Amino acid sequence: MTDRRPKVVGFCCERHGMDAAVLAARSGRQYDASVRVIQVPCSGRVDGLHILKAFEDGADAVFVIGCLEKNCYYDTGSIEGRKRVEYVKGMLAELGIEKERVEMFNAASTNAWAFPEAASKMVEVAKRLGPLDMGGDTR
Amino acid sequence: MIVAKRKPMNEIAEMVAPYKNITVIGCRSCVAICLAGGEKEVKMAASALKVKNRKEHRDQQFETLVVERQCEKEWVKEVEDKILGADVVLSMACSLGAQTIADMYPEKTVFPGLNTGFLGVPEEQGVWSEKCVGCGDCIIHLTGGICPVARCAKSMMNGPCGGSSNGHCEVNLDIECAWYAIHERLKLQKRLDLIEKVMPPKDWSTGHYGGRRTYVREDARLKQHQKKGKEAVQ
Amino acid sequence: MSSGRIQVVICRCCTESPKLLDIAKLEAAANDAELVMSVKVVDEICDGKAVVDVAREAAEKEIDRAVVLACHKRDVSPALLKAYRRAGIDRSMVEFVNVREEVVLPHVDDPEGAQKKAETKLKAALGRVTMLVPLLTETEEMRTKNVVIIGAGVAGMAAAEAAARAGAHTVIIEKSSRSVKAPGILMSNTRLVATKGTPGNYELTIMAGEKTEELECAAVVVATGGGWNSLKGPLAKASKDAVPLYKLSEMLQAGHAPKGPVVIVDTPDPTGKSLKVMDFAWDEALMTAIDVKKKHPQTEVFMLFQEMRAFGLSEITYKEAAELGIRFVRYDRTGVPKVDPKDPTKMTVTDLAQGELLSVRLGTLAFAAIPANPDNRDIADALRIPMTAEGGLRRGGIQRWPVATPRPGIFVCGSAVFPKSADAARAEGEAAGSMAAAYASKGTVEYGGSVAQVAQEKCSACLTCIRTCPYEAPYIGTANKVEIRRQLCQGCGICAGICPSKAIELLHYTDDQIQQETRTMLGGDF
Repeated sequence: MTDRRPKVVGFCCERHGMDAAVLAARSGRQYDASVRVIQVPCSGRVDGLHILKAFEDGADAVFVIGCLEKNCYYDTGSIEGRKRVEYVKGMLAELGIEKERVEMFNAASTNAWAFPEAASKMVEVAKRLGPLDMGGDTR
Repeated sequence: MIVAKRKPMNEIAEMVAPYKNITVIGCRSCVAICLAGGEKEVKMAASALKVKNRKEHRDQQFETLVVERQCEKEWVKEVEDKILGADVVLSMACSLGAQTIADMYPEKTVFPGLNTGFLGVPEEQGVWSEKCVGCGDCIIHLTGGICPVARCAKSMMNGPCGGSSNGHCEVNLDIECAWYAIHERLKLQKRLDLIEKVMPPKDWSTGHYGGRRTYVREDARLKQHQKKGKEAVQ
Repeated sequence: MSSGRIQVVICRCCTESPKLLDIAKLEAAANDAELVMSVKVVDEICDGKAVVDVAREAAEKEIDRAVVLACHKRDVSPALLKAYRRAGIDRSMVEFVNVREEVVLPHVDDPEGAQKKAETKLKAALGRVTMLVPLLTETEEMRTKNVVIIGAGVAGMAAAEAAARAGAHTVIIEKSSRSVKAPGILMSNTRLVATKGTPGNYELTIMAGEKTEELECAAVVVATGGGWNSLKGPLAKASKDAVPLYKLSEMLQAGHAPKGPVVIVDTPDPTGKSLKVMDFAWDEALMTAIDVKKKHPQTEVFMLFQEMRAFGLSEITYKEAAELGIRFVRYDRTGVPKVDPKDPTKMTVTDLAQGELLSVRLGTLAFAAIPANPDNRDIADALRIPMTAEGGLRRGGIQRWPVATPRPGIFVCGSAVFPKSADAARAEGEAAGSMAAAYASKGTVEYGGSVAQVAQEKCSACLTCIRTCPYEAPYIGTANKVEIRRQLCQGCGICAGICPSKAIELLHYTDDQIQQETRTMLGGDF
């Protein structure tokens, strides 16, 4: 088991994703401080390349959070976001890297639980699977 | 257009594993359009390999670039320094591009990052299907614009066969029976007389079955004194 | 390329932040950073005095971009951005870091972690702001104030009335020769053929009778209605006299006695997936059945259905119908209603309650489910708007725009979306008409800012962005490469994320900017 804190990065859409995160904070919900968020206008902006680069640059787990698919502020953005995440999962799996390290979440701006739940889930994945550069076999 | 798809990442990873400096070259033409080897796929492939390297503590350097059309020498020549400077080249173009680099730089190892598939059309975004096998002797004017060589599982000239069922092929119920489609098309065009004509056995020698093909346009060839540089005296 | 003269503003958020964070350390980090010319720590950035102070120093130090550590950017007082603008700093050059909701509030038990996160976020914001360029916006005049309403039905008329009341010039185009009293111009026998142009300046090509005409407008309301008159499905085919529920209702209103027995079936396509029975259909079906029974108590009325969806207060209607003697027959796919091919006045169905085959004489056969209007395909194609799986015209996100499509200035209402009762259609028509008029009254369209931009030399003309953009912003331009209609681009970046040749960037959220931010976030102390 390593002492290193898990490095989790989330791409959060500026609409329902960020609204949900803000509501969560104002409702007093807590999550691990090792979760860092990068704002994008829409989860559909997230390129699979951004997710892979995040892993390259040190992330142990990456998530994308966008609007609910039926209520995306940009109509079909979160549907696209999910497709990008799924494609990266496929690439990671082919390389023997656990595909749970990347995940897509959807939230409505009124879901106070959604963002902390996503953040905690990814922190748990990062802790359970270990840091990516430990090869995942030091448990 | 040519439709290809990326080899599974583990296959690619295995190919490049022994090397330190890898240049990944994509193409802006067919493979970009079928989402297999454009700049995005090239960068993602390199990035994914770097992620794997992070996990396995391996150090490799990747140079990523695309050329306009990798099957043309002039385009490839433009990035010669990146090719020569690498230990290996990972081509994310179709096999034509990969072979062009390999032929131009015979001392260099060139790996194919894609599996080149077929001549196909986008049925819808994300779905490409084969519609031509390059038989070299097109007969679709006799079949209402539908190619039986490519679209019939048995490439029949006078179909359908007994396995045609409800407009679908017995080989795979998801595939339409090409001859059913041809019949319906000719019916629409009021040219069912064409379907009654018996087509003779096809001369396959114009296709790949007759051997590797070369087309020449004598009027387009450059005479020796038109060529410049080294090629003038090759 | 790192450039700029940065001002960093650290807000104590009314003393909330200092409870958890070491503000002095943040201030020191800001002061040490490259290109930072001014660091201001304030108690409340929303306070007028603080804004004045900050802006004054910004002007003195010739600041051209700012990083503001405060709360959610939408809650920071607009006075700050206005003051910055007066000091020559465009709002697109101000980066907000939400320290309150992303660092202080969610990590109360981890001051060390929160401090590291705040410092990293500051560093990432400083890196990002040096990469920004001011965004340009443009305005375009709307050449007309016309609101074109397609369809003179219930929803269309309500839209026309609402739009006219709000001062718009309304033009109603109606495909039939029906003549109605309408505010504005009514063009009968007219259909929409094609659309060009941009929001606020749409150019519609219409067929008025045999003539093709061009019609300019600022906004469009689609109110083409449901497929009342078209019934598809094996049952409809088998029984030529079958009518949609709407017609049965009309018959009763007009005082005609329907031939008994009256049989109302949920859908003319009981085994198919093509027709979804919408909830409203059951309310109307029950009320029509009750109407028949009340006006003609001797007429037998049967209702054949797979699922009775009378929820809420409709339960009362259901009860009333049952008490009046209307016979309810539930079936499933193992025993669907069938019309006898040899005797089209006979219908058989397996009654699930009894487990027996029931034979019903057909006097009048009506269907509760209404298919979508077959015209919707052509309308959707002409206006380039999305459709639902059932064949209706799809709205944009329901929360944002209940009667609008993803294209600015194009609204949709009534049964064109999905079949609904006349009252609901009227309400939607009123909403759409008002929204269209409000849109047209603006007189100008502002666009630009954070929009997509194509590097044509990289474009493969693969058409992926054109197919994926919800707003029809990309198109193939004169160079046979993609160009972006800035008037339509909403700045979502879907195209930038999907382009296989990396030819499209989204201004203000370029790949470099996002990747740099990611790298800095991950490079910091965890």
